[in-house]
Amino acid sequence: MRTMEAENIIEMLHITKEFPGIIANDDITLQLRHGEIHALLGENGAGKSTLMSVLFGLYQPEKGEIRKNGQVVKINNPNDATALGIGMVHQHFKLVDVFTVLDNIILGAETTKMGFLQKKEARAKVEALSERYGLKVDLDARVEDITVGMQQRVEILKMLYRDNEILIFDEPTAVLTPQEIEELMATMREFAKEGKSILFISHKLNEIMEVSDRVTVLRKGKYIGTVDTKDTDKQSLSNMMVGRPVQLEVQKDPAKPGEVVLDLKDFSVKGHHKKDAVHNVSLQARAGEILCIAGIDGNGQTEFIHGLTGLEKSTGTVTLCGKDISHATIKGRGENMSHIPEDRHKHGLVLDFTLEQNMVLQRFQEPEFQHMGFIKQGAVRQYAEKLIAQYDVRSGQGPITTARSMSGGNQQKAIIARELDRNKELVVAVQPTRGLDVGAIEYIHGQLVKERDEGKAILLVSLELDEVMSLSDRILVMYEGEIVGELDPKKTTVQELGLYMAGAKRQKEGEGA
Amino acid sequence: MKHSLLEKEGTRSVLASIISILCGLLVGAVLILIMGLSNDTLGPTSAWEGIRLIFGGLFATGRNGAGALTFGFNPSNFGNMFFRATPLILVGLSVAVAYKTGLFNIGAPGQYLLGTAASLVIALGIPTTSVPAPVVWLLSFLGGVAAGALWGCIPGLVKAFLNINEVLACIMTNWIAANVVTWIFDGSVFRNTTEGTKTAYVYKTSVNGVQTAKMGLDKLFPGSQINGGILIAVVIAIGVYVLMSKTTLGYQLKACGSNRHAARYAGINDKRNIVLSMAIAGALSGAAASLYWLSGNTEFYWSTYQALPAIGFNGIPVALLASSNPIAVIFTGIFMSMLDIIGQQVTTLTAYNEYITDVIISVIVYMAAFSLLIKTFLAGRAKNKVGINVNAEPAPAAPPVSPEPGGEPPVQASPEKGGEEK
Repeated sequence: MRTMEAENIIEMLHITKEFPGIIANDDITLQLRHGEIHALLGENGAGKSTLMSVLFGLYQPEKGEIRKNGQVVKINNPNDATALGIGMVHQHFKLVDVFTVLDNIILGAETTKMGFLQKKEARAKVEALSERYGLKVDLDARVEDITVGMQQRVEILKMLYRDNEILIFDEPTAVLTPQEIEELMATMREFAKEGKSILFISHKLNEIMEVSDRVTVLRKGKYIGTVDTKDTDKQSLSNMMVGRPVQLEVQKDPAKPGEVVLDLKDFSVKGHHKKDAVHNVSLQARAGEILCIAGIDGNGQTEFIHGLTGLEKSTGTVTLCGKDISHATIKGRGENMSHIPEDRHKHGLVLDFTLEQNMVLQRFQEPEFQHMGFIKQGAVRQYAEKLIAQYDVRSGQGPITTARSMSGGNQQKAIIARELDRNKELVVAVQPTRGLDVGAIEYIHGQLVKERDEGKAILLVSLELDEVMSLSDRILVMYEGEIVGELDPKKTTVQELGLYMAGAKRQKEGEGA
Repeated sequence: MKHSLLEKEGTRSVLASIISILCGLLVGAVLILIMGLSNDTLGPTSAWEGIRLIFGGLFATGRNGAGALTFGFNPSNFGNMFFRATPLILVGLSVAVAYKTGLFNIGAPGQYLLGTAASLVIALGIPTTSVPAPVVWLLSFLGGVAAGALWGCIPGLVKAFLNINEVLACIMTNWIAANVVTWIFDGSVFRNTTEGTKTAYVYKTSVNGVQTAKMGLDKLFPGSQINGGILIAVVIAIGVYVLMSKTTLGYQLKACGSNRHAARYAGINDKRNIVLSMAIAGALSGAAASLYWLSGNTEFYWSTYQALPAIGFNGIPVALLASSNPIAVIFTGIFMSMLDIIGQQVTTLTAYNEYITDVIISVIVYMAAFSLLIKTFLAGRAKNKVGINVNAEPAPAAPPVSPEPGGEPPVQASPEKGGEEK
């Protein structure tokens, strides 16, 4: 903890920003000290991004003022913000895909001599910065060819190149791998040590606890409070954020596994290269248990699920509810299986369809929803309204909302409503809570446990260790396309799980599943 | 809450199209003015006549004794407009259906040609002395539809199974069709040899006594080429509308077009639907050809068919201008053929030629491509006027406890977050 007396470098006082119909920021005060990492916490739609957009000059507040070092400043546009030393890494990066990394960094702040670009100087400066902070980038690569993690480093270098001293990070970890998150955290600490001040927008409690000095919490556009990170914990932060006590730990009774619902034998799926992406997996999922496939991203989980659900070809035998479905179509498999897909935009929803059309994506041919090939619009509407009410899916216009215009959390809720209401013996849930906030995660976990208790078999694929440990009844670790261990979440530790996931440990054949 | 008219998506589409049309007509008028003023033989009087014809050519009835233009109800103009609109509507539907299902059917010319060939061969090949003429007509019509559908299937199959872009496949099949059709008629018995000057023409179907019934329309529009085809086209358009928006088949086709991955995930056979949608598009182009050539007063000129029939491409602006709405296609099809009639009137009544209408069509098509922009502009106006974000209304089904302020606006209100779009 740095000195408490440090004066504020930025003060946003009583900021109110209204949009037609709603107040996005209602009398919010935020004080950022010199050299601190200040987290801004809130659920989706709490007004975090709006507040930062006000600071960055993208919006003008109706009320309130912004001060820098005690002086009132007016920020009319991002150029004003840059002039004041404020830089921002947006959640969706603002880079020119076909430009090189270097061109992107100097874009808008080019050094020129008689109208000619002086790239040499720029390159030297960027290289020095990149070296100093360990921000490895390939200056001559095109942005479209580099990883998301490197794109983020480019955005950070952009801020450094402009000598910004106030750095805003808008949900920077959402797109990163765990290792990249670690690196980012270290970089942020490094910046703070040098006296730069950081605003860090997030709804991930772990990261906030790990990296920030203070936390300001917003809820539904209102200021809830600011606390020192060392004086608080995850539970109280999440209660502040959601406005009611939240169950961070999943509440569930011990599982009562019943009969085998899904039986896989020597199940393999071809990868894009010569090697199998999934190799000779054999497992059984039982009614009334949550079986989790854990592993680091890219170890064959996606291919495994695609093979199981029929999206990709597979070999070996798949028996579901006593029926051999090894060669069944996607539709045939769907008779006893519902699938909450990993990518809700690619597979889960037809984004240009309305919510009600999406609700019957698999069921539109059932007699309930069609007669002689004509869709029963009334029945579809009624069904959608029932699901919307039952699963609390919120949207602008109810059943006729376009799926694209809904928030990510509600899109996911819509998919979960649709899949769980199909009432199938096996529920395949792939990263069902990715990108969602605490309230939504709590809800979805609750729903999955409820399905389990009703005697469904749940096959969960998750990358989040917390989720794996708290939600599952049995863990299978997948490493390079193979099951390398079976663990009991009650008996194992995160460390042991991590060793299996990294491939450092592995159970012998027959010892596990 | 009351919505202003501008807030409705449909109204905005219609307005956007009307704005495109007006821009096109205006450019035409300006062009005529410039040409008139810069050319001594034309002059301002003739320019003024040209401009009046651009806007009211459909109602032109000729010139009176004093040499001034006269306007009024001209049944022959109207009848010919509907006659020419028939294939335009159907080809427009063909493009629209494909577009709604995420495909670009630039293969309409080829499908139209194959439909032409099948239709003519059946209509002229089955002697009406042994088979009743209405039966031959029906067979010929269905034959044209089937041939178009088959030809449309080819790019569909190639796209579904080999993942080859349908535009490429369509262009290839267009040229194959052009040459196949030339080959079919070259040296066939259907060549018109009785009229010496017309060696390159195929007989009219009326030679065999086969032609589309007039259905009384010739009484309504005397002196024109009109027949019952326009009614059939309208019925087909309504049928396509019902198919696309009311049936499970339409739902599947649209789901595949909109997000093939999600459709597949849901167990919909995406490959089948891609083929099917191209087949339907092809069938509609085939129907366009059948109805045009079965009119009995059109002659197919085959020998120079190294070129593709323009009608096949004209379906694209018709569909674009209609925002791919099947019902709107009826009107935009009729509108496009009205421009045709106007071109004719300009040519016969003034020293200008009909190419001016091609310029107008081009501008309209150009503007139609901007219709999305115009729509966004209109939407912006609507919002300013009402001052209420449509999306910010509390959802009717949401529990009243938590109206979730700020739940939706980031999508609308903060451009830098980009909402949910990629």
